Amino acid sequence: MAAFEGELVIGMDVGSTTVKAVVVHPETKQILWNDYQRHHTKQPEKVLELLEAIHAAFPDQPKDKWRMFATGSGSGPICAPTGAKFVQEVNSVTLAVEHLHPDVLSVIELGGQDAKIIMFKEDSNTGQKTASTSMNDKCASGTGATIDKCMIKVGAEPGFATSLRFDDSKLHHVAAKCGVFAETDIVNLVKTGIPKDEVLNSLADAIVLQNLSVLTRGNTLKARVLLLGGPNTYLPFLQDCWRQRIPETWRDRGYDYPKDIPLEDLIFVPKNAELYAAFGAATYGMAEGGDAGKLLPIESLNHFISHGRRARLGEQAGPPLSAHANETHEFTDTYKIPKFKPATFTPGQVVRGVIGLDGGSTSSKAVLIDEEGEILVKAYQLSKGNPIQDTKDLLASIQDHLTSQGATLECLGFGATGYAADVLEETVLADCNIVETVAHMMSAVHFFGDIDVICDIGGQDIKVLFMKNGDIQNFKLSNSCSAGNGMLLQAMADQFGIPVTEYAENAFKAELAPKFSYGCAVFLDTDRVNFQKEGYQKEELLAGLAQVLPKNVWQYVVQIPRLASLGRKFVLQGGTQYNLAAVKAQVDYIKQRVPGAEVFVHPHTGEAGAIGAAIETLRRYKRSGKSRFIGIQPTLDLMFKTKNDEETVCHFCPNECKRTFIDTQRPDGSTSRYISGFSCEKGTVESKDAMLALVKERKATAAQFPNIVDYEANRAFERFYAPEPLPAPGTIIEDVRVTKGIFRIKRETYRRPFERSSEEAAKRRKSIRIGMPRVLNMYTTAPFFRTYFETLGIGRSNVVFSDQTTEDLFVEGGKYGSVDPCYPSKVVQAHIHNLLFHKHEPERKRQLDYLFFPILTHVPSFVLDTQDNTSCPIVAGTPDVIKSAFTKEVDFFAERGIEYLDPALSFAEPMLMAKRMFETFGKRLGVTEDESDHACRQGQKALALFDQDLQDKGRAILETVEDEDRIAILVLNRPYHADPGMNHGIPEEFQVLGYPILSIRSIPRDREYLDRYFKEELENGTIKNPLELNHIWPENYSANSAQKVWAANFAAHHPNVAVLDLSSFKCGHDAPTYGMIDQILQTSKTPAAALHDLDANKPGGSIKIRVKTYAHSLRLQQERLEDVAGRKRDLSHAIDKKRLELLKLKQQQLAATQSQDPEIARSIEELAEKVTRYETKVPVQVEQPKGIVRLGRKATDGKIVPVQSNQSAQQVAPPPAE
Amino acid sequence: MTQQVVFDAPKKRALPIAGQATLDIDAELAKFEADERARLGLEKEEHWVEDMANLMFTKSEKSKITLLIGGLTMAQDYLIGASFTHLGYSTVNLDVPNEDALRVGKEFGNRGQCNPTYFTVGNLVKALITLRDEKGMSTKDIIDKYVFLTAGACGPCRFGMYVTEYRKALRDAGFDGFRVMLFQQQGGLSQASGEESGLELNPKFFIGLLKGLIAGDVLNGIGYRLRPFEVEPGATDKAMEQAKKNCHDALLNGKSILKALHRSKKLFDAVKVDRTMVKPKTAIIGEFWAMTTEGAGNYALQRFLEQEGSEADIQFVSAWLLYNVWELRHDTKNRATLRSEDKGKQSLAGAGEYGVFTRQIGLWAADKAIRAGFQVYAHAAGFYGYHLPDMDAIADMAAPYYNNDLRGGEGHMEVGKLIVNVAKNKANMTLSVKPFGCMPSSGVSDGVQSLITEKFPGTIFCAVETSGDGAVNFYSRVQMYLFKAKQAAQAEFDKALEETGVTVEQVKQYLAENPKYAHALHHPEHRAGSTSADTIYEVAERINTTRTQRAVRTTKRFLQGAKAAFSKAIVGAPETARTTAAFTQQGAKELLDIAKEQGPGLAQKGLEAAKSKAAQVLPFKRESAEVRKAS
Repeated sequence: MAAFEGELVIGMDVGSTTVKAVVVHPETKQILWNDYQRHHTKQPEKVLELLEAIHAAFPDQPKDKWRMFATGSGSGPICAPTGAKFVQEVNSVTLAVEHLHPDVLSVIELGGQDAKIIMFKEDSNTGQKTASTSMNDKCASGTGATIDKCMIKVGAEPGFATSLRFDDSKLHHVAAKCGVFAETDIVNLVKTGIPKDEVLNSLADAIVLQNLSVLTRGNTLKARVLLLGGPNTYLPFLQDCWRQRIPETWRDRGYDYPKDIPLEDLIFVPKNAELYAAFGAATYGMAEGGDAGKLLPIESLNHFISHGRRARLGEQAGPPLSAHANETHEFTDTYKIPKFKPATFTPGQVVRGVIGLDGGSTSSKAVLIDEEGEILVKAYQLSKGNPIQDTKDLLASIQDHLTSQGATLECLGFGATGYAADVLEETVLADCNIVETVAHMMSAVHFFGDIDVICDIGGQDIKVLFMKNGDIQNFKLSNSCSAGNGMLLQAMADQFGIPVTEYAENAFKAELAPKFSYGCAVFLDTDRVNFQKEGYQKEELLAGLAQVLPKNVWQYVVQIPRLASLGRKFVLQGGTQYNLAAVKAQVDYIKQRVPGAEVFVHPHTGEAGAIGAAIETLRRYKRSGKSRFIGIQPTLDLMFKTKNDEETVCHFCPNECKRTFIDTQRPDGSTSRYISGFSCEKGTVESKDAMLALVKERKATAAQFPNIVDYEANRAFERFYAPEPLPAPGTIIEDVRVTKGIFRIKRETYRRPFERSSEEAAKRRKSIRIGMPRVLNMYTTAPFFRTYFETLGIGRSNVVFSDQTTEDLFVEGGKYGSVDPCYPSKVVQAHIHNLLFHKHEPERKRQLDYLFFPILTHVPSFVLDTQDNTSCPIVAGTPDVIKSAFTKEVDFFAERGIEYLDPALSFAEPMLMAKRMFETFGKRLGVTEDESDHACRQGQKALALFDQDLQDKGRAILETVEDEDRIAILVLNRPYHADPGMNHGIPEEFQVLGYPILSIRSIPRDREYLDRYFKEELENGTIKNPLELNHIWPENYSANSAQKVWAANFAAHHPNVAVLDLSSFKCGHDAPTYGMIDQILQTSKTPAAALHDLDANKPGGSIKIRVKTYAHSLRLQQERLEDVAGRKRDLSHAIDKKRLELLKLKQQQLAATQSQDPEIARSIEELAEKVTRYETKVPVQVEQPKGIVRLGRKATDGKIVPVQSNQSAQQVAPPPAE
Repeated sequence: MTQQVVFDAPKKRALPIAGQATLDIDAELAKFEADERARLGLEKEEHWVEDMANLMFTKSEKSKITLLIGGLTMAQDYLIGASFTHLGYSTVNLDVPNEDALRVGKEFGNRGQCNPTYFTVGNLVKALITLRDEKGMSTKDIIDKYVFLTAGACGPCRFGMYVTEYRKALRDAGFDGFRVMLFQQQGGLSQASGEESGLELNPKFFIGLLKGLIAGDVLNGIGYRLRPFEVEPGATDKAMEQAKKNCHDALLNGKSILKALHRSKKLFDAVKVDRTMVKPKTAIIGEFWAMTTEGAGNYALQRFLEQEGSEADIQFVSAWLLYNVWELRHDTKNRATLRSEDKGKQSLAGAGEYGVFTRQIGLWAADKAIRAGFQVYAHAAGFYGYHLPDMDAIADMAAPYYNNDLRGGEGHMEVGKLIVNVAKNKANMTLSVKPFGCMPSSGVSDGVQSLITEKFPGTIFCAVETSGDGAVNFYSRVQMYLFKAKQAAQAEFDKALEETGVTVEQVKQYLAENPKYAHALHHPEHRAGSTSADTIYEVAERINTTRTQRAVRTTKRFLQGAKAAFSKAIVGAPETARTTAAFTQQGAKELLDIAKEQGPGLAQKGLEAAKSKAAQVLPFKRESAEVRKAS
């Protein structure tokens, strides 16, 4: 090491939160000195401090005899001013591990912003070890940061997490693929009263499983495994979790790990784990020769800190929040929310009023209003994790306010909204439980009267309500991907150590601001880290982040770039509005885009929800004069117990939901139990009898309000068609002889006998079993494949599909993936696992011989004028991805003697498909091409029947709802969202509200039915057939997208159809259609709700608020519909009468000219009869719909009587009060 | 309610007099209905119709229209612009999309798009906003005077729908009615308006386009080859600027592009290079736009690699054209002998008995024409020793892992290219760059690549996504793999020295004495992953052998080759002869049959068919379903 003679080497690791430094002797490689400090975003200053400390620690070492190598995500900018050489952090860690632990084969490092896995592989030829490394996808970044945030959410006291051990007996679902998703889930768990140890364990498990299923890229982490990074080092429960889950993968994959070594040694955290990267950087440096990393004098870094950093920022930065101080003052004066002064009372005064409470995501608020609606007292607190406890605290606080002044409260009622509302309705018998959106609307209308837009920004959610005539006309809610913006502002302030109340003050000081691009909180945080590294000061970052808020609201959540189209009067509310920097950004954004805009900030911005609940309670009290609320003191004396153990697990379906029971006992001795944490209605009951009663009731509802989406999902995989048998040998058939020449290909038709395969082959086929995954486009094509195999003589029970998607199925089999696409594609691995490990049972002579998962390049489509009918490339390519995943380290198919078959098939080209099917199965099943072709034809027939059946049912529903002026909900989705594991039972939530559910394929497509709805476009020549789409969307290459857009257009044309739009997280094909579907539905004013970004976890809270809000709009729509239908009938009658009048006039005209027209006479007769019927009110007979329809009773003459309004359905879900 | 119509009161109405107009019931009713609707407050239903699709400009408008061009590499946009200007269009090149373009794209685009869409759509809208807000043009003027011209994307991934995004963004940004024209839309235009389109998609147009594309490829190729090894920083860029200008002027004035390239060769050759610097070669593959753009869209990846001490081996647009041709060839071959024709887009519907033959001939010719064009240009400019990839070989290598029928993005090519890079040691590292969440690339290719890296241990494969923000993480990931690539390149270099027994100093001295091998455009024969190791092998061979020895060895090699070919020919001769004879015989018989059946009109027909098929092979002219239906 001649180059380093007399020199010492510094390894400096500048991470997202800390700086670590080591001094290493280049020859002995001994660490001579080390330190570890948090940098509080002042990286250069901290580095300087450490360098000074180093110089002080080695006074004898000449200042010019130092080398420095820097690593870590924050080290970029400090390299030039120190002369250090940059070393990428994974490389540093790799080198350190190679040097310190030659026997380690896997490293897992969880950092603040990213996670890394390093796997060392031995090349069997050369014996050399090579390291393969992977870092997480952007979406899952911030693992350490997420853990930190969640610790705060659960309210873990210092020392709690560092002493907690992992326990897998009580785990709950947490989505770890994204920091925001995880946080949302954690908040929900906390809200339902899950103890904090369980919450943290669940988070750890989710993080570990996410890393095992994605970050390993499908590879097995081989022993020994080294755990590095802050969370791994300090959290024993996280270490335990790795020690439990990694060996599980070893056993699953047959990896022979050294069983004689204790697990603590196989998967271990080394001493000084935090120094590995710094040491690795130094190690890297020692291999470098020349002048690499020669440390510059400290003055250079000093100069950089004081001058260099900011020079280059000017150009890229955007304008500040305020151009000058005057603007700030002016704005602050206008928009500053007046400080609330609670009412004062006189001793002995009896105060009559109602209390409204809003159990929000991060904080809970309550207000006391008097009988005139004046706000008397407000109470606020950060949620402590249990809604009942929070409520008790808030009520106590209100009560104290009164009693301290000698007054007493006569509580006339109590209403709740927000996350806590359900539990309060049950336990303290709240008078009203309204959804947040409606509560916010009521409160805004109370203060501002006729407004156009309400924009509420809370900690987690953004809600934007579009108003018309004082009620919600439409709404947009942030989904998981756009959530957490309010929290982000708070977190940012925390990062810089300033209270959130001083956010604005700081942000207004900035003279420029970095330009953030809008997006989810995780992405924004990554941006923030980058900007910080570039040298932006905290004021500027705060300003920049405030400026991105309106973009997130209007561009990301609302997606209506022409703000002016929404109206002129905007109300801003939600806790975030206390932050005037955020308000300024919003006001500027709106005013720039809406001429003459009036923007108001709600005077009680944080308590808008609570006020809404109070106002509604007051309204009800005034109407009925009574309250069911148990009273304040009884609430304060309420005893409650939260239970979440084996006993509370719901066993009524395979989901095995881990529920939480909150048992409360009121002072009067009465008790109630609130159950949370279930994913379907079955979880709401405790006993089997209660469950059976519930199921029965549901079935009755379902019979009357069919859910075709669900029906389609089951029907597709059932046997419903008995295929025509293979023709007898020798049956004469027509065939085409193809002669391929050099210049031409000649085809001649001729007749010949049908060729049959041998008896033995047929016999052998009987015992062949074929497995297929119940996934993706199999949802549209499975009847074809089932029928194909059955026609060829494969036994009915030998055509095997994997089970429906459930969370358990995914947890069990979701560890093979190497990519992280949409959930529908990612879940496929679990279905293959299900087939391999559950459906393949050689010991019971139920082996699988083939696993058939065709690459479906093109799928059937009913849209006539498409450019092509392709599948999504991910969906089509998944079979090959799966093949890679299951053959990479171990060939799971070969091990079990199963052959995996994934030929490319196109449903757009039946001839080519028949050829491919024969190529694939001819020899394997021992069938002739004639037989295979026949089976293909049968398959097509089955598909057609399947389709017809769905359309028949759809037609029955549509005709019934139209006749009764009711609403049916059309689910706009991709076919595989019919899988209950994909749609998370969302359609069902509407079904129980009494709305029948239609699927895209159940829309009747015969012209006789459709033409009436597309009359105008057909007449003016825009289209020639209602099944066309080019006039709406010419780039319709993708079959499923085209059908989805067409269905939206159908909904727009049908007065009785409302829309529920479902879409998966990361769906690349739905993205371009969002705007278009919005346009289509908005133009026709069709009610629509969208749940985008669906993923593996059921977004319970998000579903609930949407369902409830949407139900509110649907009820309004229903009223409009009834109203319009009445007027339309009037119109139609008037037209008939007018026509009759005109016809008669015409007849008279003709008579005058001595001529007559028999057609006119006949029309007059017909019309006169019809008109007479109106007068005598003879009911019109509804024509019997085709197909098997269980809608209504069948009359004796076989005709179907449409059902009347359904009482039981209304009982199931009492409408939220208005 | 009583009857409003009083049947027995005709006397109250004046009966029509003979010759007077008779009653028009429909008109009366329509009026009545309108009045009644208004009275009842029944609004007219409104439905969304896309009115911005298939907009065009007519021949009479051509003189006042400016075409906006953008989307490929800087060199290509610049050269294509010149070609079109020569054809009489007024053109303006858009800037390379930057972060502002991304922000505009995100503001006016749908959520969840891939970033090529945000960047390209945002870039156009940004340009129009600049015209409006900074240059003070009225929106109407902008819409009247500018047209954006781009190649029509088709196919299954999100990028195939990016025109939808153009419309949405333009409309939302206030440019309702702005014309975005696609090459492929041409068919329907004249039918729609009755007037001829101002954009003539004639052979001249496509030849102009191809000239720009291929010349751009060649120039880019030279640039990326030279820059990493230049001794004087900036020398390559300086030469490149002049070279681009030469080509631009030639295309603009209708002069010979070959001459311009030839003139540029001298500029390049003057750049001083040192190929003994150890630089790992990084082959860039991935999603087409992400790997070809040179700006914020991929964080200026190519330049970044160079800064980090690597040589970037880029992909060419010409190779993309070859892939398009390959797709058609593959699809035709698969369907040639079906018993009847299907109706899908890839089917041979309507091709007729000779369709397969003419199509195959046309496609073969197209493939050869692109390759020949590329080689001629490459030779003129001094881009030696480069061969466009063999599409069949890539497809065959990829097939066991990635089905050749899977389309979207680069299809099987990513997987195929990685295997080729590894199996043939074409680069030290393969970097696959794609937009965040790219469906074919992140969702499928990367999944399969994990198997490839397992099958070929030692592969350095870096898959990295671009999202437009967070450059630091992107760079960090690349650096992570580049570190390994550097080690690999160094090891390879050391091995070359060890195997050949020469020292770096000896090699440098030799190069100083034999400038032929040190010239910028000289390209050492491929032996190893990096150019540096190739240089060592080449020079060491010359140091270690005398001229005579080399001559002897060259002759030997030639003879061996010839011998092998000859013996193969001899051994295979009877078979070859038989096959040839049979082939000729069959051909002759077939022709005779055809002649008998079809008579004299045949030749003419054949010629027409060949013509039309040849036109089809150009990727931009793939018939849309609409056109086909119309025909």
